[in-house]
Amino acid sequence: MGLTDYIWLGVLAVFQGPEAFDLFGLSVSITVLMVVAGFILGIVVGATPGLAGPMAMAIALPLLISAFGFTPDALLPVMGFLIGVMKGATLGGAVPAILFNTPGTPDAYLTTLDGHPMTRAGQARKALKIAHVSSATGDTFSDVVLILCAPFLAVVIEGYLDLPEKTALLILSLAFVASVIGNSVGKGLIAMGLGLMAAYIGTGEDFYPRLSFGTQSLARGFPVTTAVLGVLILGEVFKSLDDLRRDRHRPDAPKAPKPTDHAALSRADLRRIAPYIARSAVIGTAVGALPGIGSTLAATLGHTSGARRHARKHPDRLPFGKGAPEGIAATEAANSAVSGANLIPVLSLGIPGNAAAVFLILATESIGGFNPGPAVFRIPPDRINPELVVAFGLFTMMMLANLMNWTIGGVFMRMAGVMARARKEFLMPMVLLLTLTVIYVQDPRMIAICFAIGFGVLGYLMRRVGMSPLPFVIAFLLARRLEDTARQAFSATGGDAWFLFTHPIAALFMALAVVSVGLSLRRSAGQQRP
Amino acid sequence: MHQQIFASHKNAEKEYLVTWFIKALAATGFVAALTTSVHASDWSPSGPVKLMIAFAAGGGADTQARLIAEDLEAKLGWELIPQQVTGKGGLNLAKALHDMPADGTAIGMVVTETLGYNMRVADAGMTPDDFTAITTTSSFQMAVVAPSTKGWTSFADVIAAAKSGETLRFGVMSPKLADLAYLVSEAQGVEFNIVSVRGGREVMNGVIAGDMDLGFMAGIQGKAVDAGEMVNLASALSTPLIQTPDAPVFADLGVPFNADGYFLFIGPKDMPTATRDALAEAISDVVSTEGYKSNAMITAAFGGATVIAGDAAQTLVTEGYDAAGALLATVEAE
Repeated sequence: MGLTDYIWLGVLAVFQGPEAFDLFGLSVSITVLMVVAGFILGIVVGATPGLAGPMAMAIALPLLISAFGFTPDALLPVMGFLIGVMKGATLGGAVPAILFNTPGTPDAYLTTLDGHPMTRAGQARKALKIAHVSSATGDTFSDVVLILCAPFLAVVIEGYLDLPEKTALLILSLAFVASVIGNSVGKGLIAMGLGLMAAYIGTGEDFYPRLSFGTQSLARGFPVTTAVLGVLILGEVFKSLDDLRRDRHRPDAPKAPKPTDHAALSRADLRRIAPYIARSAVIGTAVGALPGIGSTLAATLGHTSGARRHARKHPDRLPFGKGAPEGIAATEAANSAVSGANLIPVLSLGIPGNAAAVFLILATESIGGFNPGPAVFRIPPDRINPELVVAFGLFTMMMLANLMNWTIGGVFMRMAGVMARARKEFLMPMVLLLTLTVIYVQDPRMIAICFAIGFGVLGYLMRRVGMSPLPFVIAFLLARRLEDTARQAFSATGGDAWFLFTHPIAALFMALAVVSVGLSLRRSAGQQRP
Repeated sequence: MHQQIFASHKNAEKEYLVTWFIKALAATGFVAALTTSVHASDWSPSGPVKLMIAFAAGGGADTQARLIAEDLEAKLGWELIPQQVTGKGGLNLAKALHDMPADGTAIGMVVTETLGYNMRVADAGMTPDDFTAITTTSSFQMAVVAPSTKGWTSFADVIAAAKSGETLRFGVMSPKLADLAYLVSEAQGVEFNIVSVRGGREVMNGVIAGDMDLGFMAGIQGKAVDAGEMVNLASALSTPLIQTPDAPVFADLGVPFNADGYFLFIGPKDMPTATRDALAEAISDVVSTEGYKSNAMITAAFGGATVIAGDAAQTLVTEGYDAAGALLATVEAE
């Protein structure tokens, strides 16, 4: 079996899966249906202020698993739905940022800078169209790179990375996430430290549980879903409920003006934004391919580099931050280009770069039959590697979602603005109930609910003090891998306590970790200066 | 030194006797289970049965447990609720199961090592006597495996490589196996860097990725060995491997201990005999009868069911607990 056979098998696995229904004599597989459903839900969720893709993925995952079961057949439909949500939400995320100035994700924040001024100037439709074209281009480019490079990159990465290097890479990822996400390095590091500490309760190599105060309920540690959903969702729910309470006495926020423009994007418009899209797509893809580094950094880099170019080459045009279409293009292309390349480290090393990837890994862990790691991209001589088939199935679903991105994406995106009318008073309690149910289903102990609420309070407090919960979540997820890899590296090097510094590549990663924290510290010090 | 080797040989002899004894017991136990089946089949659970699983969701062991639950539901109409209680080599499950009612509505699937070596080392105030062993389902084919790209065809090649100065990394997936790897290196006069990972799957990944040179695998290597990608270098069991009968067993390599082990269903202490035997009979029936899903899975992954039920199973875990004491004493003495 050669590579082409695997690609073909992967495509067939998607289109010839269990049949959902007949469409004019053509059988539509349940997997394709799930990608479409996920994509539409993703756009709606992304376009709803206050909701974001990861939240929908978190709620959907347990429901999907209970519907499809734990068999390997469940993997592609469930992953297809999640990939659909991921792509749809990336696209839809620009809607509330542009129309209402309420970014659903940290990276969409940069879209508000130019998007909302355009809305205020009555150019909302044009802004949305630019966001659509840029996002879809960035996304497609990134997926093409993923599909062409992932198999080779995975093998190359594995060849160069020994256990000490992997340990150092995890430390670098954590340092990067902590210093880049959010607006304060100190808060990022604290969030990361809290995540590590929570993950180390009750786990470890010893037969006696550590940090459990001798209690049986802590001895088993915190399940991943409890901690992740607690901080990400319950925290957000608590904050929204609190906001609602506080806002009750305030006058209504001013409504966005009705769009006055009708013009489609002209060729001149496209030519004007194309260089920004291209540059940001490359930046986003490169950033996405690095393990553990998410779309926020990509959006920041894309926007910054676009702004520099813009100021240099076109000082005559509207500058970034005042409603420049180029600003939307640079940001949206960069943050959308992360999602495909992000799967390179996910598939080859099992390291998630953003919250969406976290849920993809959670899905593979819960269902089984696909273990992200070096074995995925191997081609054994005389038997089939089912994981490689699944990998190409995933790629097929991503391209399918891209196709929808280009065709129906824009239409739905503009329609989805209606969701802005959903009232938070009704939405939030429903989300709360659903999340608690989901947590209880995964860990049927009453104490798990208490833990989840505890993590929710933590997530609420983090948001109140302006601390991004993402470093916490990523640290929680990587903690166990970090400890295991470090222990293994220690014993594999024959008990060399300095293994992080005696191997050149590992030492380089460690230096980069220090540099990334140092640079971010300088940056935030610079921002604070008047 | 001579004394030690002598002692080792005596231990090896004892180990063989114990194994023989267990096998004899297994035979009688199985017969006993069959003869008591008239009483046993009268019993059925008073409600849903909570089935705790000590293995990570989605792995081979977890799949086995869930398929057994499915088979029991299909065959007998019992309602089983599988639930993951992982961690600490099965001891988290043991602790959780310990205080459950012993009426057959709460059972768990672990490996014999949980009630043996792990319980002994953990010193968590529990012994095998605190549990009712119900039945084993299958044994491991625990082997020392290396990728064929290393060019080794026998364990002697590994020793030769180590003696020529190559630093070798030996992947293991439990503390007991780490001890065994250490003892084999001591017996052969070489040194291994013993790398501990979670589960045989990770040993296999590590060996494929080149993070380790060789390691223990308990059956998952089967297809790769058939395909010539991997080599079974030694059997870590008291008996030769089914797949590679020519590979030496650990006793041949100078280690008087082995990694004989089984997947085991247990219940809380003092489970009534009729309840225990009914559960044992129901489980052993589905795992050993062709046509059931769990049977198909066990045959594919572990070369077929190995049923040791009732009193024989209880004796098996008690012996394992005692043998762990001897192993620990030897390791400490080295």
